[in-house]
Amino acid sequence: MIKLENVTKVYNGDVTAVRDANFDIPKSEFVFLVGPSGSGKSTLLRLMNRQELPERGTVWVSGTALSALPKHRVPLFRRGIGSIFQDYKLLGNKTVFENVAFALEVIGKPKHVIRQQVPAILELVGLAGKEDRFPHQLSGGEQQRVSIARAFVNRPPILLADEPTGNLDPGTSEGIMRLLDRINKTGTTVVMATHDTKIVNMMRRRVVELDRGFIVRDQARGVYE
Amino acid sequence: MLSRIAYILRETWAGLRRNLTLTVAALLTVVATLSLLGFSLLIQGSVGNLLVKWRSGVQVIVFMSPDATQDQIDAVDRLLTNDPSVKSKVFIDKPAALEEFKRLFPDSPELYTLVGTQGMPTSFKVTPTEADDATIARITAQLNRQPNVLSVQSAREVVAFVRTLSDFFRVATIVGSGVLMIASVALIWNTIRTGMFARRREIEVMKLVGATNWFIRWPFVVEGIVQGLIGGLLACGITALGNTLWKRKVVQSALFSDFRLLQATSGQFRTACIWMLAVGIVAGAVASATAATRFLDV
Repeated sequence: MIKLENVTKVYNGDVTAVRDANFDIPKSEFVFLVGPSGSGKSTLLRLMNRQELPERGTVWVSGTALSALPKHRVPLFRRGIGSIFQDYKLLGNKTVFENVAFALEVIGKPKHVIRQQVPAILELVGLAGKEDRFPHQLSGGEQQRVSIARAFVNRPPILLADEPTGNLDPGTSEGIMRLLDRINKTGTTVVMATHDTKIVNMMRRRVVELDRGFIVRDQARGVYE
Repeated sequence: MLSRIAYILRETWAGLRRNLTLTVAALLTVVATLSLLGFSLLIQGSVGNLLVKWRSGVQVIVFMSPDATQDQIDAVDRLLTNDPSVKSKVFIDKPAALEEFKRLFPDSPELYTLVGTQGMPTSFKVTPTEADDATIARITAQLNRQPNVLSVQSAREVVAFVRTLSDFFRVATIVGSGVLMIASVALIWNTIRTGMFARRREIEVMKLVGATNWFIRWPFVVEGIVQGLIGGLLACGITALGNTLWKRKVVQSALFSDFRLLQATSGQFRTACIWMLAVGIVAGAVASATAATRFLDV
């Protein structure tokens, strides 16, 4: 599903964020990217949805080499990837329903599809009945659920999560992880960057550890250490 | 498709309202630019209408001195008869000259009683075959050499003067509207850029979920087009008002009937309006499309 071959990413010509990375993520896998801040986790995610292009090497996603993907095809490519962030990136002037509907609206989905899919996904993430709330009326965990709903409403085969539990307390984080696990069980490939030791140890999934841009460990059913 | 158009219109309206101060500033500049352009076109049209009439009816009037002898008058008459570039000539004798004088100055009988019939200059009204400057200049020079020719007058100088005047106004208004055009485009550009900055979070989300660049751009481009369109419509209104006032206050009270021609026809006004709207729309589209492209990298 996602494959990196000798990928090196350099920022501004001197800061090397990722060095010679190689790994292969098969379909439906759940992978943690772990390591301290600045070790290159976020950069790897940004390379996977083509927010960045590598200086050397090739990133393959769903059989496409991203460096060969023409610019005008990028939006279509991104519709196959859901993204979740530590700060949720919700739109404060839109309700829960509107935030999720927005993702479908801007890719040209008709109204009847939106009316049908949005309530279904809100039900799935456990926000039924809160459609008309605004983000500031929700707890952090609920806001992250809205963001997951938005990322997953179009049923993309890949979900990229950058520190999704970074702003949440342990109990809430566990709930979010159960939700991501459920989404993974539907066949969605999930790549999650985190430095939340407890969660990684609890989930017992594949762990790719980074240190100053190098992949120092790639372990199936690993722990954080 | 329909929901897409609805989305674009809704976002455009939101964009116009979000930045009211900037939108109004840009709009006023667009209105000033396009009004100036409109007036420039109307002036050109009006002057053109007047000159067409003048040029087609251009005449040379040869005034003889009141002391001119019959021989001298006959000499000029022969000269005009033999000149192939003279199409026709009419001799105005002293009583006829007095009649014309009475007609021109009906309120000043003391003037012509003072001068009397004998004091009136006789004259020839000459219509040349060609109304071009060279022919008229040649005829004029030839006649000026004849004895007791008081003066040779033609509309040539007046035509040239009116044309110089209209050229001056045309250049001035076009330069002015060119400078304002740059300001208009810059202001629309800035409005769009500010709008995009205000909506950067939405744009970020749109890019992440895979909205195409044109989908993101359209509301901004339409916003620019709407600014140009509204500016064009307001400019048409202002120009229409100016045009009406000109006709009512100036042309109607014109001293000479020919000056009544110094106005734009309704066809010319329509053409000017179409230009104003087209330039407004194109300027708005170009400014907003380039701004939206410049600030929207994948």
